[in-house]
Amino acid sequence: MKNQANPWLTSNLWVLGLGMLPAILLIGVLLYFTAWAFAFSFTDLALVGRKSVEWEWVGLENFQRLFTRRGFLESLWTTVIFVFFSAIVGQSVLGFLLAAALRGTRSTLRSVVEVCIMLGWLLPDIVAAFLWSATTAQTGLINQLIIRPLGLPPVNFINDYALPVVTIANIWKGTAWSYLLFSAALDSVSREVVEAAKVDGATPMQRIWLVQLPIIRPHIATNMLFITIWTFTYFPLIFAMTGGGPGRQTETLAVFLYNQSFARGNLGFGSAISVAMLVIVGCLSLVYLRMLREPK
Amino acid sequence: MSDVSLKAVRKSYGVLEVVHGVDLDIKAGEFVVFVGPSGCGKSTLLRMIAGLEPISGGEIAIGGRVVNDVPSPQRGIAMVFQSYALYPHMSVFDNMAFGLKLAKTPKAEVEARVREAARILQIEPYLDRMPKALSGGQRQRVAIGRAIVRNPKVFLFDEPLSNLDAALRAQTRVEIAKLHAALDATMIYVTHDQVEAMTLADRIVVLNAGRIEQVGSPLELYRNPVNTFVAGFIASQRMNFLEVKASANGLELPGGRVLALNHAGIAAVKTLGVRPEHLLLADAGNADLSGVLAVVEQFGEYALAYAELPGGETVTLKLDGAPALEVGQDVHMKLPGEGLHLFDADGRALR
Repeated sequence: MKNQANPWLTSNLWVLGLGMLPAILLIGVLLYFTAWAFAFSFTDLALVGRKSVEWEWVGLENFQRLFTRRGFLESLWTTVIFVFFSAIVGQSVLGFLLAAALRGTRSTLRSVVEVCIMLGWLLPDIVAAFLWSATTAQTGLINQLIIRPLGLPPVNFINDYALPVVTIANIWKGTAWSYLLFSAALDSVSREVVEAAKVDGATPMQRIWLVQLPIIRPHIATNMLFITIWTFTYFPLIFAMTGGGPGRQTETLAVFLYNQSFARGNLGFGSAISVAMLVIVGCLSLVYLRMLREPK
Repeated sequence: MSDVSLKAVRKSYGVLEVVHGVDLDIKAGEFVVFVGPSGCGKSTLLRMIAGLEPISGGEIAIGGRVVNDVPSPQRGIAMVFQSYALYPHMSVFDNMAFGLKLAKTPKAEVEARVREAARILQIEPYLDRMPKALSGGQRQRVAIGRAIVRNPKVFLFDEPLSNLDAALRAQTRVEIAKLHAALDATMIYVTHDQVEAMTLADRIVVLNAGRIEQVGSPLELYRNPVNTFVAGFIASQRMNFLEVKASANGLELPGGRVLALNHAGIAAVKTLGVRPEHLLLADAGNADLSGVLAVVEQFGEYALAYAELPGGETVTLKLDGAPALEVGQDVHMKLPGEGLHLFDADGRALR
């Protein structure tokens, strides 16, 4: 394509520069913070005290600590479990099943289900966290309504089954996104193609598995990419519900990062954690982006 | 090859009935075309035969077996869809083999049947391609090939040519006719295009507003339409309808001249129908109708002349060759001795 820029603009570098300023600033700020985190991951910078001013370069020490000290690997494992069960299995599969089941129905049931899952999504994280804590606590709704009337001793779910409770809460909170995305994706599959499969003798399961799912594969990959990244770095709901506890049972990487950087004040180590998270999420993204490519 | 019979078939969505009791017998090996304006229920009828749409009332039998509650795959039908409906994630071969694979057909047989269908349709070079790498015409063949490999008793076509351009449509039309001759299968074909209906059908079923208006061979419908709807719908140029008054010695035409006519039911005649190709040019002296030429469309081999009568009605004439006519001149027309259609006040033909 030919350069269509205004000749007055192209001959006035100052004007051109001025016009580009907002973009340059934005990109600059983004680069600055990334570079900042990267640079300080090689230092022993602290939030308070002497090390907050007289920090020193410590080389790869922070990165060694990731693997030699307790904390990072455990948190990584917790995060993997949390992402796998709440995002990939929970939100994605549940969202797809709901979208597939409610597709084509124009019933009140559909509206009710849609409103319900949207409510979870729209509710602020902190409010949701409070609701879930209150509901699953020893004196909470589940105990009052189900466990006690059955004559069983009350269970402190949020304490005894912290990770499952947090996982379920996140499924409840995030399914709306996957549902909406899969609804739109399934709508893009031509009705006639599904009918052709029906005439060809495909059962409802085969129609989903052999026809609809392969057709919406790029949407699935996109959805996986988004929710994996979001869930991997998700912080408010878990932090507000458990603070990472009890012990370190629900300390995902985001919570671990917060605790190290701001509760303990180890900004250098915290930076190393964030760089590690960036690398992990980057690798996952590459996997999904490959999935997005069309087959040869 | 199998016969299909419909008995009082109805379809309603809630309180809205869209197909009002259709009775039809289709003989084995016949090529039947459902034709009608959009919304007449022709596609719905086809989808009910296919088992894609539940039947609200009546009975559908294929090969003597009532199939009301038989799911599509067991009805022995194959369907070609308007949008081709190819599986976009499968190669041409897999598209055609999908149904056979689902039915757990031995691999060698799948291979043989797909190859055979591809040979008939001349799509062998494309078997490894994905549908998106094919042209519209090629996709259409794959869709037909997918139907052939199922070896169905009845082929169902739902407006299969409407997504093709005009030249390809004509070519594919001929190929479908050849295919019918070669496969010797029962075919039911839905279209809104009366040219496709006339050229392909052994019998045409004209549908309007969920009812059958007339069933017959293309020439029967052309020669003896039972009502003004069929008369106006069949043939490439719409029939001219003239309002006439019956009098003692004939029919009073627009413009005041009287057409002498002997007919038992002449008193009931309200509308006179004449096809544009049957109207003749005449001199002022012996003309039945006179008007002013409003538009001339020259096609080279023939021309269409639109004449405005004094009463404001427009009459179409189809003239051979390239007649020298000028817009604005007077045209005088003579009604033919044969090929006149008489209709009563309800639009029913009087024989």
